[in-house]
Amino acid sequence: MVKRKSFVCFMFILMFFWFAHVCFAVDKAAVDGALIDAESDLVSAYVVVGEAEKAGANVSELLVKLRFAGTLLAQAYNTNRTGDYDKAYSFAINCSESVDGTADEALGLKLEAEKAYSGRLFMTGAVSTVALSVLFVLSLFGWRFWKNRYYKRVLEMKPKVERAE
Amino acid sequence: MNLEDFKLLYVLSCIGLGLIILSPTLAVVVKLPSGERFSELWILGPSHMAEDYPFNVSANKLYKVYLGISNHMDGLEYYRVYVKFRNQTDPLPDAVNGVPSDLEPLLEYRVFLKHNEDWEREIHFSFDFDIEGNICSVSKLVIDGYALDVDKVTGWDEEKGGFHFQLFFELWLYNASVPNFRFDDRFVWIWLNMTSL
Repeated sequence: MVKRKSFVCFMFILMFFWFAHVCFAVDKAAVDGALIDAESDLVSAYVVVGEAEKAGANVSELLVKLRFAGTLLAQAYNTNRTGDYDKAYSFAINCSESVDGTADEALGLKLEAEKAYSGRLFMTGAVSTVALSVLFVLSLFGWRFWKNRYYKRVLEMKPKVERAE
Repeated sequence: MNLEDFKLLYVLSCIGLGLIILSPTLAVVVKLPSGERFSELWILGPSHMAEDYPFNVSANKLYKVYLGISNHMDGLEYYRVYVKFRNQTDPLPDAVNGVPSDLEPLLEYRVFLKHNEDWEREIHFSFDFDIEGNICSVSKLVIDGYALDVDKVTGWDEEKGGFHFQLFFELWLYNASVPNFRFDDRFVWIWLNMTSL
């Protein structure tokens, strides 16, 4: 009787694990979907990080995230090719999660960099405008000064006419 | 020097001084064109030199090469490297027309590089193959820990003497305007001669 009960119990546990495996196993379609999503998430993040970098932002930290996510995505594709769908799915999901928020962060950095650029442009533009105005005024005064000095020297060179006795 | 000459000299000096004053603003606004934009892809032997590449290959023995990429594209780039394996009749990429090989990739790497940055990694690989008479069948390629079924067959090469296969790497670059990866017309390879079991 005890033996029979143990056998039933063993069979029940075996069936449980088999059902659990069947229920939670990832199929190819789910992996393909996760891979497409991960690729799209990574590309979206990359495009904005690239724009931020072009705008002059420091994207070193975001680049670390991109590289990590890129490695995960490659692992997802590679394990998918070996037929290990569970791992591939897990890598793809991790890839999407690792770049979550990266695009927003990059956008923030891009806006900051653009603002800094505008500020720098305004500052150098303003300083240059003031300096050019001062140069213009000084050059007019300078020209008058040099012109008068030139005339004075020319007049000094004029031969003196003395009365003949 | 007459007054007209002096006036010209004076005006030119003022313009020169004005340009010097404007130069910081010009440096912020004007973007000078960068040089030629390109990417590099290389493969080095186990001694990290362009020599001693694995050639005569035994079954299930581990071999090593170095694969590298360098970015000179004047910005952040997203690269994908496909690893492919062919026998002598399978197609290679068309370097003239920039068309990649039709073969399915066995493995891939994804790399993000800033301008003037390099990436390099060791690639470890081994093969499982059988030689029967004049036919060599490669059943498995294990590369970087991934065991991949390849099922490639080749006959004895009378001319060069050996069972020759090629392991090659294609460089793809993400193009945001397409938007997709495009083959960058760069690939590197090593010839392999499956010799002993």
